[in-house]
Amino acid sequence: MHQGIAFRTAYLLTGSASDAEDSAQTGFVKAWRALPRFRPGSPFRPWLLRIVANEAHNRRRSAGRAYALELRAATTEPSGNAAPSPEGAALAREQQESLVAAVQRLDEHDRDVLTCRYLLELSEEETATVLAVRRGTVKSRTARALARLRMEVEL
Amino acid sequence: MSELERALGGLAWELDVPETPDLAPRVLALLEPRTPRRSARGRWIVALAVVVLAALAATLAIPDARAALFRLLSIGGERIELVDELPELQLRADLELALGERVTLDEARRRSTFTLRELEEPPDRVYVGGQGTVWFLYGTPEATRLLVAQSSLAPPFQEILLKKLVTPKTRVERVDVHGSPGIFLSGKTHFVLVLDRDGEIVEDSARLARDVLIWEDGGVGYRLEGELGLAEALRLAASLR
Repeated sequence: MHQGIAFRTAYLLTGSASDAEDSAQTGFVKAWRALPRFRPGSPFRPWLLRIVANEAHNRRRSAGRAYALELRAATTEPSGNAAPSPEGAALAREQQESLVAAVQRLDEHDRDVLTCRYLLELSEEETATVLAVRRGTVKSRTARALARLRMEVEL
Repeated sequence: MSELERALGGLAWELDVPETPDLAPRVLALLEPRTPRRSARGRWIVALAVVVLAALAATLAIPDARAALFRLLSIGGERIELVDELPELQLRADLELALGERVTLDEARRRSTFTLRELEEPPDRVYVGGQGTVWFLYGTPEATRLLVAQSSLAPPFQEILLKKLVTPKTRVERVDVHGSPGIFLSGKTHFVLVLDRDGEIVEDSARLARDVLIWEDGGVGYRLEGELGLAEALRLAASLR
């Protein structure tokens, strides 16, 4: 039930499939052992993701690898009536690639908050729990990260 | 939402994220304590008791999320498995038949392969089960207020395995029983099944049980059953001497 989101979180935070698998796996084990400290009634998903994210951060730092995400291979088939023209699709693809590159150049804090908010689609509250910061910090980091991104991409 | 934020949101599903691997086997392997190797003699002497837990009310339900995490947990010679649905069971009305042969306390002491621990209050009835488990019953079979079970986990009984199937509505807590790892299972009622040496359910062996505290100490598996609550169960566990 939570495997998918746990692995996705770990992957988007580490940029490595093997680190993501190890982080998610260790995260589940630690979460199980920490269950007695889980407050009944509180949201479970961010609590679990916080543990996974913590593991992911540790692995990312110890591995020292460059953070790298890639877009899926471009499809050549139009996807319905709203499909853009080939020129439009190429432009969108180019924009997406530059956006991914810009996200990767952000510092860790900025990238993590954008990952949680937009790539994992977590709420501010959930993001605060996952990153172990205050909600206000999520707001300010998000605004700062978006401002930095705007300086790099034309959107 | 700005165009940049929309673009970021759109990026979410355009990223090449590998397919989620099946994490469950490795996670379970890390969670499951090592069990002793089966001896040749033990293979044929195995007798299993299965406790099937079914919380009949949702008031003590564990969160769904906890259920998602928890599929299998082992402690001592016991294994707890989470299942979505319980098998249909025919309940046995006669608790005495489910517990085993009724004996005197002296007889149980004599037949036991380990030193029995006893509460200050002597049991009202004593039974020895098929696999050597000694049961102390407090109250009557019709109105039981406490059951205490003790099973040797040493050879040749090391393969005795209590296997519990729980639904997500049952609370399962890891607890420290005075220095020994334990599990407290709570819920309105649950089923207990006895399996034979081949792992088959003994016909009509299902019975009702209540909250259970399980722990292992010194090669002996202990169980307390009754409407106890965790604090009372731990207090009783400490007074078993």
